[in-house]
Amino acid sequence: MLKMTGINKVFRTDLVETHALRDITLHVEEGEFITITGPSGCGKTTFLNIAGLLETYTQGEYLLDGQNVSALGDYQRAKLRNQKIGFIFQSFNLMPDLNLFDNVDVPLRYRGMKAAERKSRIEKALDSVGLLSRKKHLPSQLSGGQQQRVAIARALVGEPRFLLADEPTGNLDSNTAEGVMELLENINASGTTIIMVTHDPSIASRSARNIHILDGRIAEPQTIAHTETGQLGSVSQASAKTASAA
Amino acid sequence: MFMYYIRLSLLSYRRNPVLSTLMVLAVAIGIGAYMVIFTLNYYVGGDPIPAKSDKLFHVQFDYGDPAVPNSTPPPQLTYIDATALLNLTTQHPRTATSKFSAIIEPEGNDIRPFAVDGRGNFADFFTMFDVPFQYGSGWDRSADDSNQQVIVLSQELNERLFGGGNSVGETILMHGYNFTVVGVLDRWVPIPKFYDLNNGSLNPGEEAYIPWNLIVAMELRRSGSTNCWKAPEGSGFQAFLNAECAWIQYWVQLDSTADQSAYRDLIDNYAAQQKQIGRMLFPLEKRLFDVNEWLLEQEAQPPETRMLAALAAMLLAVCLLNTVGLLLSKFLGKSAELGVRQALGAHKGSLFIQHVIEAGFIGAVGGILGVGVAYLGLQGMYLLLGDFLSTGWLRLDITVVAVTIGLAIASTIVAGLYPIWRACNINPAIHLKLQ
Repeated sequence: MLKMTGINKVFRTDLVETHALRDITLHVEEGEFITITGPSGCGKTTFLNIAGLLETYTQGEYLLDGQNVSALGDYQRAKLRNQKIGFIFQSFNLMPDLNLFDNVDVPLRYRGMKAAERKSRIEKALDSVGLLSRKKHLPSQLSGGQQQRVAIARALVGEPRFLLADEPTGNLDSNTAEGVMELLENINASGTTIIMVTHDPSIASRSARNIHILDGRIAEPQTIAHTETGQLGSVSQASAKTASAA
Repeated sequence: MFMYYIRLSLLSYRRNPVLSTLMVLAVAIGIGAYMVIFTLNYYVGGDPIPAKSDKLFHVQFDYGDPAVPNSTPPPQLTYIDATALLNLTTQHPRTATSKFSAIIEPEGNDIRPFAVDGRGNFADFFTMFDVPFQYGSGWDRSADDSNQQVIVLSQELNERLFGGGNSVGETILMHGYNFTVVGVLDRWVPIPKFYDLNNGSLNPGEEAYIPWNLIVAMELRRSGSTNCWKAPEGSGFQAFLNAECAWIQYWVQLDSTADQSAYRDLIDNYAAQQKQIGRMLFPLEKRLFDVNEWLLEQEAQPPETRMLAALAAMLLAVCLLNTVGLLLSKFLGKSAELGVRQALGAHKGSLFIQHVIEAGFIGAVGGILGVGVAYLGLQGMYLLLGDFLSTGWLRLDITVVAVTIGLAIASTIVAGLYPIWRACNINPAIHLKLQ
């Protein structure tokens, strides 16, 4: 479903050149739940942005559903994002002056869907996160956990093939985070592929596969053992391929 | 999507009410000031008689001294040539016309004698220029020929003398002569006053109209401009009439191109004859001008209005430059929202359209407010210019209102193009993480 081969990302300014990602090779199969871990600044979010077609890469090949995305223009990338990818962010990124219904409506608006179908989908998505009764509320009237649930509903409403989550529990207390994780696991169980960036080892350990990134590279297990406790169950580039093949 | 974008524009306005209101005010003031001048130019520069402007012709002759550097021939005719033209052909409707001033002595003691600005003209004047009547009508050609003492009153003079009632048949004592009222004009304010550009193209019309021959017969006091390039030989009114002094406007209605061509030949031949006897020495190639040609030739639009238009355009430009800055601030402040929208499937084109509509929305609100500013500006012009605009012709009509709002929308969108372009080209990834 998602196949990255030798992806490099270099940020250049007049003075410095920063290698954010180096030679990332990763295959993700349909229905997987993958976590991405690594220290701050290692390139996790850059990876996620490239996977979500929000950022271009400097070198390598990226196939999404068999389609090479490097040649796509802005319109086609936006269309792919709208139809195949759902985003969940650490800070929820809800629009403060839109109520829950209208927030969830945003991706459907760009799909040119008719009002009746949009309404049905929005209500179903809000119902699935237990917030249908509050559809007229503004995000500011909700708790952090509830806002993240709305963000999940917004990500799901377009029935995407996979979800990209950037530290979705990072701003939540442990109880609320647990609720969000259960929700994501249920979504994954229903067949949606999830790639999630997290700092939390306990959350990473709940995924079927964890990718550890260090200095822009997918780290070998021994490197992880050297730098961290190794309890994350991190896998190397090679073992990732083995896992995806399995 | 259009209504969705309008709704987003409303929400965006509410999110930043101060910034948005500043933009609306900048647009409103710039557009409002511009529209005051636009309105002035719109009326002054328009076709004052569109149905007939290509059939009504003003005659000009080769007057003046060609030895005087940078001189141009005066636009009016001498008495000699005006009377010659009147007799040259009576086939087409035509009129010589000029202004006079006289004292009216109302009956009874209720109203004291007062001066009026009047116009002498021929009977055809009223039909040629489509003059509307409230009561009665103009006089007929026989009144011209027999010097009948008839008069047509303006609405204002009729109001003053007869309380606005039907005064046809009443008698007025003017300049010591009795005049019989044959008609009262309805509101008639051609802008510019094309039939007499020599005496203020924006001035109101005259208060009384009498057969032109009476000006001469009664030796009425002429008002308006007179150009002389040779001193009169002798003194007295008759000497003045025979002098090389131009003070009469001359108009003729020529309905077909054949008529126009024939009449052109006629006056060209007349001018050639006059040259042979030592008159009309100034080289002039064109002697017949239709209404719009005449307005251009005489630069009927006062230069002050062009200067005001330039100043208003500069003010508008300053206001729009401010709007550019405010829009830039507003749209770049929405970077996080733009990033989210891009993540959720918006392409740059749709974001561009969304913000063009938002800029247009601000422009529309500014335009509506600008109509109010323009209205106040026009009231201010009345206060400043007083009698000059006393006829009330300067007003906001539907065209001016539509142009105001349309211009506000268009100019705000143009002002917004750079901010929109900047906003649509942000890197969404950066703003998604930072929000």
